[in-house]
Amino acid sequence: MNAVAVTGLGVVSPHGDDPQAMFAALLRSESALRPVFPELPKPAAAALAAFDESRWFTKLQLPGVDRVSQLAVAAADLALRDAGATGDVDPQRIGVFAGCGMGGAAALEAAYRSGGRVPPLTIPAFMPNAPAAQVAMRHGVQGLVLTYSVACASSAAAIAEAAKAVQRGDVDLAIAGGSEALIVPGVLLAWQAMQTLAGFKPGEEATAIRPFASDRSGFALGEGAAFLILESAQRARRRGARTYGLLSGWGLSCDATHLTKPDAAGQARALRAALRQADLQPRDVGYCNAHGTATRIGDVVEHDALAEVWGDGLDGLRVSSTKALHGHLLGAGGALEAVITLLALQQRQLPPNAHTDTIDPACQLNLVRDDATSAPGLEAAISNSFAFGGTNAVLLFSRG
Amino acid sequence: MPTDTTHMSSLKELQELVHEKFGIEASVLDAHASMREKGFDSLALVEFLFVIEDRFGISMSDEDSNIDTLAQLSAVVDRLIAAKAA
Repeated sequence: MNAVAVTGLGVVSPHGDDPQAMFAALLRSESALRPVFPELPKPAAAALAAFDESRWFTKLQLPGVDRVSQLAVAAADLALRDAGATGDVDPQRIGVFAGCGMGGAAALEAAYRSGGRVPPLTIPAFMPNAPAAQVAMRHGVQGLVLTYSVACASSAAAIAEAAKAVQRGDVDLAIAGGSEALIVPGVLLAWQAMQTLAGFKPGEEATAIRPFASDRSGFALGEGAAFLILESAQRARRRGARTYGLLSGWGLSCDATHLTKPDAAGQARALRAALRQADLQPRDVGYCNAHGTATRIGDVVEHDALAEVWGDGLDGLRVSSTKALHGHLLGAGGALEAVITLLALQQRQLPPNAHTDTIDPACQLNLVRDDATSAPGLEAAISNSFAFGGTNAVLLFSRG
Repeated sequence: MPTDTTHMSSLKELQELVHEKFGIEASVLDAHASMREKGFDSLALVEFLFVIEDRFGISMSDEDSNIDTLAQLSAVVDRLIAAKAA
């Protein structure tokens, strides 16, 4: 089978828009979580992405372009620039594979709050496939331009589908990732009502997310976008492209058991599928960027799935959930965490599992500590994304 | 070319709105230049009409969608303002 190479990375993240600087901040355990919306009845925290839209848009280009699309255009553009001269690609043989959970949340919120004077471009701004369409228009992409809305697995699924398209030869170049921008009061209230967000005392927002810890209480929302440039390893070699790593395997599965309660057996199926495709054994994989939402049930189920597949070798798998630091980017989470996983592989450094002092015995994993981030022998790593709706996506990267 | 003062004042205000909303100086967008040729696509125009409605308290929903210059737009706005006042 044709190997799929990652030749470009672009992010607009709560830790900035330079992937290497973002990764360095994660290695230092810098939390991007801050208090937001003090007017809400319950305290709220989120990880916002600093973003200057004027770098990518004139004011004349902005009507009908929600923040979720602005972030996508910026991150995809940065990824393409990072990939360097991509050669003369037929526009019909380029694809955009974009994950997005909700679409233009700010546009909808503005419509609700308009008092009946609903802005006329609410629909094109809100529609969840707008980010993919905006990226396509920006770069004249005429091939497959598709949106994957699979909650927290959206962009991981998009990347997996993009890799398939590259491998099949449907496209020569894939711009794959996702974006999410839903930090608006209405959406935050809805997530609070869902009882999945972490509780915290005022002033303790930064350390509120404690994945796999005994005292964990959920996640916080984050916003941002991340895109990868995928092409066949053969093509990347031919054009002398720098390669971050290979996307050697991916596994997609569905629990088909419960809308919001995860299932270890379903997750294990996705993990096994990714390993099988990469033709690797569990012991070959040295790092797992966990889904790790720090919910009471989610972390235990993820532990159980990893334990089921890794068995006695579980301790050889080092694990961290970087959501403790950048929040849960939902539809963009899989892509952002894929970038982090690739940089971990490239630098053989692992971002720590922050804020967890006491590991819950029910999710006993070899968590990356902040004083031991080096991973000298690392050859392969996985990134997990497990969605509401039961869809599980696992991406397996290896050093090429 | 119409010269009544109502028209002139609405044109100036529209030019200010274009500057405020889209960052385009009045000197760049001549009152008789095609807005489409200056980069206004149909979505930007729709958004602009919405802003104009808010600013002047008028409804442009039944107006000709082929308006392409600020002068034409200003004439329509003037007429609607006059109709409202009547």
